[in-house]
Amino acid sequence: MTTTGPRRALQVVAALLRASLSAGMQYRADFLFDAVTGAVRALATLAPLWLVYGLRDEVAGVGEREATLVLGCFLLVAALVHGVIEPNLGAVVEGVRSGAFDLTLLKPADAQLLVSLRTLAPGHVWDLLAALAVLVDATRRGPTPDLPHIALALWTAACGALALYGVWLGAIAAAFVFVRVDNLRFLLLAGLDAGRWPARVFSRGVATLLTVVFPVAVATTLPARALAGHGAWTDAVVAAAVAAAFLAGSRRLWRAALARYTSASS
Amino acid sequence: MNRLPHALRVTPTIARVAWSDLVAYRAEMVVWVLTAILPLFLLALWDAVLVDGDVAGFGRDDVARYFAATLLVRQLTGNWIAWELAYEIRQGQLSARLLRPLHPLWAAYVWAVAALPWRIVILSPLLIALALARPELLAWPSTAHASAFVVSVALAFTLSFLVQATFGSLAFFIDKADGAFGVWFAVWTVASGYVAPLAFFPASVVAALRWLPFRSMLGTPVEMLAGVLPKDALGMALAVQAAWVLVALMVLRAVWRAGLARYGAFGA
Repeated sequence: MTTTGPRRALQVVAALLRASLSAGMQYRADFLFDAVTGAVRALATLAPLWLVYGLRDEVAGVGEREATLVLGCFLLVAALVHGVIEPNLGAVVEGVRSGAFDLTLLKPADAQLLVSLRTLAPGHVWDLLAALAVLVDATRRGPTPDLPHIALALWTAACGALALYGVWLGAIAAAFVFVRVDNLRFLLLAGLDAGRWPARVFSRGVATLLTVVFPVAVATTLPARALAGHGAWTDAVVAAAVAAAFLAGSRRLWRAALARYTSASS
Repeated sequence: MNRLPHALRVTPTIARVAWSDLVAYRAEMVVWVLTAILPLFLLALWDAVLVDGDVAGFGRDDVARYFAATLLVRQLTGNWIAWELAYEIRQGQLSARLLRPLHPLWAAYVWAVAALPWRIVILSPLLIALALARPELLAWPSTAHASAFVVSVALAFTLSFLVQATFGSLAFFIDKADGAFGVWFAVWTVASGYVAPLAFFPASVVAALRWLPFRSMLGTPVEMLAGVLPKDALGMALAVQAAWVLVALMVLRAVWRAGLARYGAFGA
């Protein structure tokens, strides 16, 4: 007998997070090593911006503070993708190939939830801290954003993150059908880099693509704009629509992929 | 039978095997090559900067040429030996390679060379698209630049391979060899000229970056192909590269030997 509903889902999420955190924290020396790696990576990501704004006050109409906020959001998104989305959904592809995915399907909880939160890569918590440091520092370099703008930033960032999760889930669903392209998700990681700079740096067409096709700009450009104090309320609507579309679409793809799944052992 | 001729005699065979392997896994190869598209995003960024005027003698065409060259040279100097070697050491798969009458690193080097034509084939649609979008970036380098580029890219390829193999060999000693290479790679992206031409850095930094190994791994051949390196600086740039190849070779040799002495062959 399986109970369903939001409460059950929350219980499952809490149990998964607890288990994956304690599994990830057992290698403490590695964890500290990851701190160094995370810091160096964050600095290397910031370097192009220092160069750019050493030469110019504005690029494509965006000042240094807002561009740094975009980069902070990018680091945040990258930490989330590397720390949560990628380790989990990457494991699905391996499970499909080896047949271990059968065991996940037998468990009395929603399979999408199970595969999405089974493991965390705790080393990336340093990336998260570095991202927050960049965001706080850049925010303090200008007028403090008011509460509505902070809320808008959080809302668009959350919508963007959910939309990106949808992209990844869709790619994984595709891997059920074409096991050969299991490294497709590394291409997604490479595409994520487009979120490093404000979308206005790119041409109008590319900027639109980065909002509605590969929605990394929703998670980086929009929250940064809000924190810089000139976000529009339409941003909240756009972000919500994109997130809803990607979540619903990827859920359908996932369902369709499950329906086609025949197990490696049969 | 002495060893060197033998190693050279079997080289064509390894290359043929490597080639068939790469053809068999071509879909995977396409994805790997296409993951190195950061230069395109960087081009967009610097293009937006240069709209307002030249920087350090670079106009918009120069920067387009520079990042098109970066895209190409990144592939021509690419390999995966750091990850492969670390993985094989951890898994004990290296044992089987050590039994063969051929140095595993030489086989891996030939393997990496065999991948180069494929990398170019896969990259070419991207380069052609870029050239169609910005036809002004097509400029023939001078003969001096072109011939220096050929030598330089071979040196950069070799240096990248040696550095990666050294980091891979660290797996003999530590669990986190991949992580150590990650730190190096992060520094490399900035110091090699990958994210910006070195000319855009503050003068004091450039002076140091010219002598560090990173530029020799990417920036030097890129500057030659893009034609932004003055003709009288070509020889010195090549000499710096050659010196780093020698240093890297000696370091790798020392690390490899010390590592083999420790190698307990997990799973053996």
